[in-house]
Amino acid sequence: MSAYRVHRNSQRIDSQSPLKFTFDGKQMQGFAGDTLASALIANGVKLIGRSFKYGRPRGIIGHGSEEPNALIQLETGAYTVPDLKATQVELYHGLSATTTTGFPSLHFDLKGMAGTFARFMPPGFYYKTFMGPVKAAWPLYEKMIRMAAGYGRAPVEADPEYYDHLHHHVDVLVVGGGACGLWAATLAGRAGLKTLLVDEQNEAGGWMLSDASARIDGKPAMQWVNERLAELDSLGNVTVLRRTTAFALHEQNLVQALELCQDHLPIGSRNPGQPRQRLHKIRAHHVVLAAGAIERPLVYGNNDRPGVMTAAAGQTYLNRYGVAVGRNVLLMTHNDAAYDAARDLAEAGSRVTLIDTRLRGAADWRQQQAKQAGVELMLGYGIAQVHGKTAVSGAQLVQLDPFTNTVRGKGPRLSADSILSSGGLTSTVHLFCHNTGRPYWKEESLSFVVPDEGRQGISCAGAITGRWELSSALAQTHAATSAMLAGFGRSTHGDCPQGDEHEVAATRRLFRVPDGLAEGHGAKAFVDFQNDVSAADIHLAVRENYRSIEHVKRYTALGFGTDQGKLSNVNGFAIAAEALGKPISAVGTTTYRPAYTPVTFGALAGSHKADTFEPRRYTAMQASHLKRGALFETVGQWMRPWYFPQGKETMHQAVDRECLATRNSVGVMDASTLGKIDVKGPDAREFLNRIYSNAWSKLDPGKCRYGLMLDENGMVMDDGVTACIADDHFHMTTTTGGAARVLNWLERWHQTEWPELQVRFTSTTDHWSTTAVVGPKSRAVLQKLCSDIDLSAENFKFMDWREGTVAGVPAKVFRISFSGELAYEINVDACYGHYIWEQVMAAGDEFGITPYGTETMHVLRAEKGFIIVGQDTDGSMTPMDLAMGWAVGMKKPFSFLGKRSLSRSDTVRSDRKQLVGLYTEDPKVVLTEGAQILSTPDATPPAAMQGHVTSSYHSAFLGRSIAMAVLKGGSQRSGDTVYVWAQGKMHPAKVVSSVFVDQEGVRQHA
Amino acid sequence: MPNFQPYLQSPLVNFNLPAETVPADSSQQVRANELPLLGYIAIRGELADAAIAAAVSSVTGASVPAAGQFSTGDAGVLVWVSPDELLLVTRRAELAQRLAAFEAAFAGLFAHAVDNSGGLTCLSLSGSEHVTVLRHMGVYDFESLAVGQAVSTVLGKAGGTVLRLEDDGVFLIIRRSFADYLWLLLRKVCTPYRFAVAKLAESGSHPLLRLLDKQHAAPARKAVTA
Amino acid sequence: MFQLHCPHCGATREEEEFSYAGEAYIARPANPEEASDAEWGDYLFMRKNTRGWFWEQWQHTAGCRKVFVVKRHTASYQIAGSWTLAEGKAHYLKESEA
Repeated sequence: MSAYRVHRNSQRIDSQSPLKFTFDGKQMQGFAGDTLASALIANGVKLIGRSFKYGRPRGIIGHGSEEPNALIQLETGAYTVPDLKATQVELYHGLSATTTTGFPSLHFDLKGMAGTFARFMPPGFYYKTFMGPVKAAWPLYEKMIRMAAGYGRAPVEADPEYYDHLHHHVDVLVVGGGACGLWAATLAGRAGLKTLLVDEQNEAGGWMLSDASARIDGKPAMQWVNERLAELDSLGNVTVLRRTTAFALHEQNLVQALELCQDHLPIGSRNPGQPRQRLHKIRAHHVVLAAGAIERPLVYGNNDRPGVMTAAAGQTYLNRYGVAVGRNVLLMTHNDAAYDAARDLAEAGSRVTLIDTRLRGAADWRQQQAKQAGVELMLGYGIAQVHGKTAVSGAQLVQLDPFTNTVRGKGPRLSADSILSSGGLTSTVHLFCHNTGRPYWKEESLSFVVPDEGRQGISCAGAITGRWELSSALAQTHAATSAMLAGFGRSTHGDCPQGDEHEVAATRRLFRVPDGLAEGHGAKAFVDFQNDVSAADIHLAVRENYRSIEHVKRYTALGFGTDQGKLSNVNGFAIAAEALGKPISAVGTTTYRPAYTPVTFGALAGSHKADTFEPRRYTAMQASHLKRGALFETVGQWMRPWYFPQGKETMHQAVDRECLATRNSVGVMDASTLGKIDVKGPDAREFLNRIYSNAWSKLDPGKCRYGLMLDENGMVMDDGVTACIADDHFHMTTTTGGAARVLNWLERWHQTEWPELQVRFTSTTDHWSTTAVVGPKSRAVLQKLCSDIDLSAENFKFMDWREGTVAGVPAKVFRISFSGELAYEINVDACYGHYIWEQVMAAGDEFGITPYGTETMHVLRAEKGFIIVGQDTDGSMTPMDLAMGWAVGMKKPFSFLGKRSLSRSDTVRSDRKQLVGLYTEDPKVVLTEGAQILSTPDATPPAAMQGHVTSSYHSAFLGRSIAMAVLKGGSQRSGDTVYVWAQGKMHPAKVVSSVFVDQEGVRQHA
Repeated sequence: MPNFQPYLQSPLVNFNLPAETVPADSSQQVRANELPLLGYIAIRGELADAAIAAAVSSVTGASVPAAGQFSTGDAGVLVWVSPDELLLVTRRAELAQRLAAFEAAFAGLFAHAVDNSGGLTCLSLSGSEHVTVLRHMGVYDFESLAVGQAVSTVLGKAGGTVLRLEDDGVFLIIRRSFADYLWLLLRKVCTPYRFAVAKLAESGSHPLLRLLDKQHAAPARKAVTA
Repeated sequence: MFQLHCPHCGATREEEEFSYAGEAYIARPANPEEASDAEWGDYLFMRKNTRGWFWEQWQHTAGCRKVFVVKRHTASYQIAGSWTLAEGKAHYLKESEA
């Protein structure tokens, strides 16, 4: 066991609060304030995973969201979460985690042992596989990939925890709770702006939590941080959200942030009445990005061995968590800042050798500090390769040429149990770039950074601009925030906080540490650990002529992982630039896309799940339907009764019964879901003439008419019956699913094309409850309920409507029919809907009145050949295709919507698909809806498709099956036999009229 | 003809809110209840037209509200919907009388009134966290909704109009067919808070509560769940 | 998701409240019957699909239900402004001439 606990004054763990947890079934102990990663390291765990392609042993590298290796499965059963980064999991009592990689087990990994996959999976593996003889090779590849694939396992049980969303509208959103973010929020708060600060960590402070020696305004930085937090807390206009990661920035400063409200609590202690996680959707007038920077490692041979970390991780585990990562530490750097990590570790008792790739090393004061702490300095050296397999055992050094990144000579071989490296900082520019922004290469910072001045609506503060020294980062933050405040017309209250000024020596411009061998010939030097992308792989991609960094990324999978390349991208870009012989600035970056860190589906769904996933719309008769045992189907968002089974009836039996009862006596259906639009104004009639294909000029008050609505392309888009209430007033109905679309359609044509027409549209869909009483006995039923309407056949004809009272309630009664039977639709104020339905049921009792649902409605209308828009049409059917030319008023003076299109060369083709009826040769066969139609029974693929079945049912009334279909040239093919491929067989069927029942229309006129 | 005894049912009848209603108290962070069976009249006409505005005022006793606002008058609460639409929330018992009055007042004008009483209902939402709850449900900046303002916006995946008559709470006017969904969603997003179906305040001079009309109340029905 | 200003409500609201309603100011031919198939096809199907500043229609479906025009940059999503159909047309025509 090389890592060990030490006490640090700076530590944020509570050594008085031990916590027990298990890792791969082993009992371990950590402390309150630990992450799972810090606790694992303290417990001596080094090997934590196997790499994706090569099965190489891997350990923890980082200390936060940049971690590529330590992906663990947290908890089990319904609470399990896959692929969390151990570095971001806060330890709690009873936590249980397991490793996610390694086949068949972490310690005995087949891939790693045999190295099989290395040969099979070069860069561009997928491309090469699919370009090759795919059929032959794919099953082999697939088997291997499946065996080895993936990290964690998705939960299979329903998530028992609660999630929600919260919308914010603020003046200023500050992203990042480090020193710079806190200062920006302080100034915004003091200026009276509504301010929100979000920070990813469990406590604010950012790098100040790791850098024990930092000072601001002459005091320890964490003291300054706590003063700021107390001040922000005291301001009523500032909100600070901890454990909250801003993961996406969209147009006009819409930022999404995920708050981990209860993930840090033992599962048994979580409050089920509070969200586990909350998704914040923040609309900010101004965003301050103070997201900081992440240290990247250097790239060198076997730099992936467990025990290799970033210097920042080593420093953080020590100062924040009280864990020294090794007793015998090698630290390689190309910059001054990493000396602090070496110094602190040496102070804590580790033996530290600092390998500075620069011949002259850091500024004198830092060298002195390090030496005083006991650090051994080796200047002008680099690590050529790490020794050890499942754990670091040492490293082979080389002497570097001071001017070019080449090897000058051999170096010593040193033993070590921990190797740290610092390749400089990479600004966390992601959010700035989510919404088309691009970072630029700042050579003096050796990082892609964002501009000091930010952009419209966005300020950038601190390390994100490439300022690595606290003093200059705070100065830039102060200036940027003051400029923002000036934009708000506010002044800046307070002087710029002062960080200590330090002399700093120049950084060495180095990414890949040379080992004296040609790339690809030495030990593998990894750039992207999660995707096993080595420096050699990038060179290979360039040799294979990938020039754009976006292509290099896709070819190698650089930056594809859940870490999104936080450690690897800049090294990868730099190595690609070198291979391409271009400056990094010319190579640029790949595109940064949301999400910055992974987000759970639970949080994305929030409260929009289960019964509130999508609105379920109900009619006023819902309780009546439930009482009578209805099963429901979703039509649009409406929940409509589907059928009403009695006893143990199957759907088929129930529908047969409902159909026969309706045709032979009386049925009743809830038609309230039809869209209803009140159309009124002096020009209402003219408007209808323009919007419908048929003519409305002569429809008198008291009459109804079926209308077809075409789009401008001549295709049927909706249909329904419209009643003339008065000369300037119409009651329009639409299909159930089409109500909102049709209302918007009317509004758009009226507002954009014909604003001069005096007409207005008011949705009354929800106002009216519609009870359809259908069947030969429907008149008798209505007569029992209605005394002030003359229901006689002579005085209340088919397609008439009357106003009166039904069961004592004011009603509009329409004599219209979607079944071909004598039928009435009773429309009342929906608050009376339930009452009227029950009255109809009571009045119809003596006739055996039978409630029916959408399935019976479909059978009844199909027996009559009535279309359902969207089922028998698909946006490519003209009225003529549907044999509904009678509903097209070609003589109307105004060229109604779609009229001109009806004479386009394509719409007048004779071989268009047209609606027909089909009788299967075997009357018992009910064709499958959607089944394809062929001309001959013995067609072999590929065969020309003649059409397809659109509606198909068993008709109890006819005692056989019926089907509607669209068939090429169908209007001329009556009597032909076609062949329908359904249920694995070819079924001969005869083309017939689509009106199967009562072709003369006697019944509906009864 | 038998002696019919029609009854009215509000869109939320199946939740049986009266049975769940408790007295309001300050421990409740969110209080909600339905104002059932009010009268709703859509008024259509160019509001900028002085004659139409005058006709509206003559019937309602309220001035035509500016965009995004509502006004109150003898007839009830008049909500701005669009440049050519207002919504009058009125007593259900006075519906026929109001509709007739509008028809008379609009004679000769391109304006009319449409009864939408069956299609809408009204919820009261109050308590210390009522704004937070709205922020859980919708994208609108509800913190900015001032007394006297009305906004038609999106709540969850449905539409709704939110009126602020007082600092303490808001009223939501929602569609009948979406009422079930919105009530379920409201209950769900209230999970983190102490929620109650609380007794509505006595009507007094309150412009919306005084529109409640007790005599039409539906007979208590058993709660039904889908 | 961006915000749009509805000139009828006089308010800036979230995109969720609006529906996209296509390219603005596509005039319906005055006499469709006289249009050739090609001309009618142009009107039906041909759209500018601009990368850059674009005049488009939006409808405030969750609010006042009015259609208005927005001048939006289709690549950057910058919004230059929104106007009623009538007001916008003057700006649009002026730009088309320039």
